[in-house]
Amino acid sequence: MLSLRLARGAHPLVLLRRLLVALAAAGVGFLLLCSLGYAVAHPKATHESLVRLLWCAAPLAAVVQFALAVARNDPATRPRDGLDAIGLGPVRLSVLAATSTAISCSLGSAAALLVYLELRGDLGATPLSGAASGLLDGRAALPWGAALTLLGLLPALSAGACAIALRPRKERAGRAPGASEATAGEEAAPAAARAPRPSYAGLPWGVSIIACGLALEAYVGHGPAPAPNSLLALPGQNSGASPGLLGGWLLASLGLVLAGPGLTHWCGVLLSAGRPGAMRLLAGRMLQDTATRIGRPLGVLCAVASGALAAVELYGAAWERSGPRPFGPLTGLGAAVVMACVTATAITAALDARQLRSDTTAALDRLGVPASLLRGAAAVRSLVLLAVLAPLTWVIAELTALPLSR
Amino acid sequence: MVAPPDNDVLWARGLHYSYSGSPALTGVSIGVREGEILAVTGPRGSGKTTLLKCLSGQILADPGEVWFNSAPVHTLSRSARERLRRERFGWIDCRPHLVPELTGWENAALPLLVRGTTHRAAKQTATEWLERLDVGDCARKRPGALTQAQRQRIAIARALAADPTVVFADEPTAPLHHTDRAQVLRTLTTAARSHQITVVLATLDEESAALADRTVTLVDGRRGGAIPAPDASEGEGRAACSVSA
Repeated sequence: MLSLRLARGAHPLVLLRRLLVALAAAGVGFLLLCSLGYAVAHPKATHESLVRLLWCAAPLAAVVQFALAVARNDPATRPRDGLDAIGLGPVRLSVLAATSTAISCSLGSAAALLVYLELRGDLGATPLSGAASGLLDGRAALPWGAALTLLGLLPALSAGACAIALRPRKERAGRAPGASEATAGEEAAPAAARAPRPSYAGLPWGVSIIACGLALEAYVGHGPAPAPNSLLALPGQNSGASPGLLGGWLLASLGLVLAGPGLTHWCGVLLSAGRPGAMRLLAGRMLQDTATRIGRPLGVLCAVASGALAAVELYGAAWERSGPRPFGPLTGLGAAVVMACVTATAITAALDARQLRSDTTAALDRLGVPASLLRGAAAVRSLVLLAVLAPLTWVIAELTALPLSR
Repeated sequence: MVAPPDNDVLWARGLHYSYSGSPALTGVSIGVREGEILAVTGPRGSGKTTLLKCLSGQILADPGEVWFNSAPVHTLSRSARERLRRERFGWIDCRPHLVPELTGWENAALPLLVRGTTHRAAKQTATEWLERLDVGDCARKRPGALTQAQRQRIAIARALAADPTVVFADEPTAPLHHTDRAQVLRTLTTAARSHQITVVLATLDEESAALADRTVTLVDGRRGGAIPAPDASEGEGRAACSVSA
C-alpha cells in the first residue's frame, strides 16, 4: 500500500519510467505467450518451440535490467533520514522497491495477456478480436497454468533482482549508511580499509573474452558444416548456424559488457591527461568516478548495438521487398523490446549519476562556477564516449558478422 | 538610493527574505568594512546563512539592497552575480562540499582553473595555500581518503587561493572537534588579516566571535539588540503553551 501511496505523489517522470517498465514487461509477456501458443499448436515440434522460448531470454534479461535501473533510480525508494528514524530504513525500502517493481511488471504481464487473448480472438465481440489468430495459433486452447507461470516469471525475477541488488550493504564502523560526508566529528576515513575494486579491473577480462569469442567464431566458421538440426538455429538460415558460432557471438557481447566500465574509466583518464583546464578536468574526473555506474549499461548498450549491426550485416539483403523475409513480426517485437530497454537503461543510469552529483553541483554553484561550464563538461564527456565506443562497436560487429556471413 | 559610506566594502539595507512563505530575514541592514573580520552570531534559525547568501548574491533579497564596492549587486543578472562570486568572493560552507572526484590540490585550484588561470600557476598557488593550512600532504589524495578536518581545511584553501576580496564563512568549524576548531579558525583569521581579505563569519559560539573585529547578532531574522521584535512577545508564547498543555 505504501508503494502505491508514494507512487501517487511521485513526479511524472518517475511515473513515466514505471510505465515504460510495464510496457516492456507487456512486450516480454506477449513474446512468452506466443512461444507457449506455438508449442501448444505444434506438439510435435518440440525443438522449434524450445528455440522460440530460449530466444525470449534476451528480452527478458533486458527488461529485468531496465526494471532494476528504474528501481535504483526511484526517489521513493532512496533511504531518507526521516523515514529511517521511524523505522522505514534501507531494509524496508529495498522490500518496497521490489514490491513496486513487481507491481509494474505484473501490470504489464496482465496487459500482455489481455492483448494476446484479444488478438487470438478468445475474448470475442470486440473490434480487434481475432485480428492475428493465424499468426498466434488461435485454434489451440491455451493451458492456463502454463500461461500464468510464464507471465509470473518476469515479476518474480525482477522483484528478486531488485531485492538482491538494493539490499543494504554490510555496515562499516565510522560510515553511516547513505551519508558520505554528513557524519559530524572526526570521521577518520581509512582509505585502505574500504578500497573498492577499481572499475577498470574488468577491462582485461573483457578484452580477452572478446578475443576468445572472435577466435571461436573464426575457428568454427572454418570447420565442417554442423548438423542441420543443431540447437539454436539462426532465423532465416536453412543450413543453421552452429552453436559454436552463436557462442562466439555471445562471448564477444559478454566481453563488451565486461569491458564497459574499464573503457569509460580510461576515457576519463585520457580526457584529463596533460595539463587540463577546468572543463576537461571536471569532465574527465567525473567520467572516472562514475565509470562503474555508467559504464556497465553503456557496455550492454554497445553489445546490443554491435549485435544489431551484425544482424543488419547478415540480413541486410533480405530486408528488400522481394525474397523470403527472415524476420517475422515477433522477432521484430523482441528486438525492439531489447533495444528500447537497453537504451532506456543507459539513459536512466546517466540520470541517476546526475542526481547523485546534485550535492556537488550545488556546491560548485555556490563557488560561482557557471552552469555553462558544467554543461560543457557533460557535452565533452558524451562526445568522448561516443568517439571511443561507436567505432569499437562497429569493429566488433563487423568481426562477428564476418564468419557468420560466409 | 543613498550611496554607501566609502569605507564599507559591502553594504546591505533592509534585507527581507522568506523561504516559500516562512520568513528568514525581516529587515536586516549591515555594513562590512574593508579588511575587517565581522562575526554574525545568533542561534540556529536566526537567519545567518540566509544573510550570507544574500550578501554573496546567491539569493536575491525581496525587498532589499546589497552594494559591493559602491556597485549594486541586487540589480545584477544571475550570470553577473555568478561572475562576481567567482572573481571577488570566496565561500566556506559548514560542510566541506569538495568535489569527490578531484584530488586535494585540484579542489583547491578549481576556482582558479575556472577563471582561466594556467594549469601550472593554479597548481602552484593551490599547493602553497595547502602548505600554509598544514594540509600539504593531502594534495594528492581524494576527499574520500581524508578526515573531516583535513577536508574542511582544503575547503578553506579553496576559498582563499582564489585571492578573493570578501570571504563568506558559514559556520566553518561546525563539523570539527574543539582543538581542530580553534586551529582552523585561527588559520583562517590569520590568513585573512595578512592578505587583507574581508571575512564575514557566521558562527554559533562566542569563542569564534572573539576572534572577530566586530560582532553582529541576529535574532529571528532581525539585528538583535536594535529594535525589540513587536509581535514575538513573551505573553503570546506563554499563552500558546498553556493552551497546548
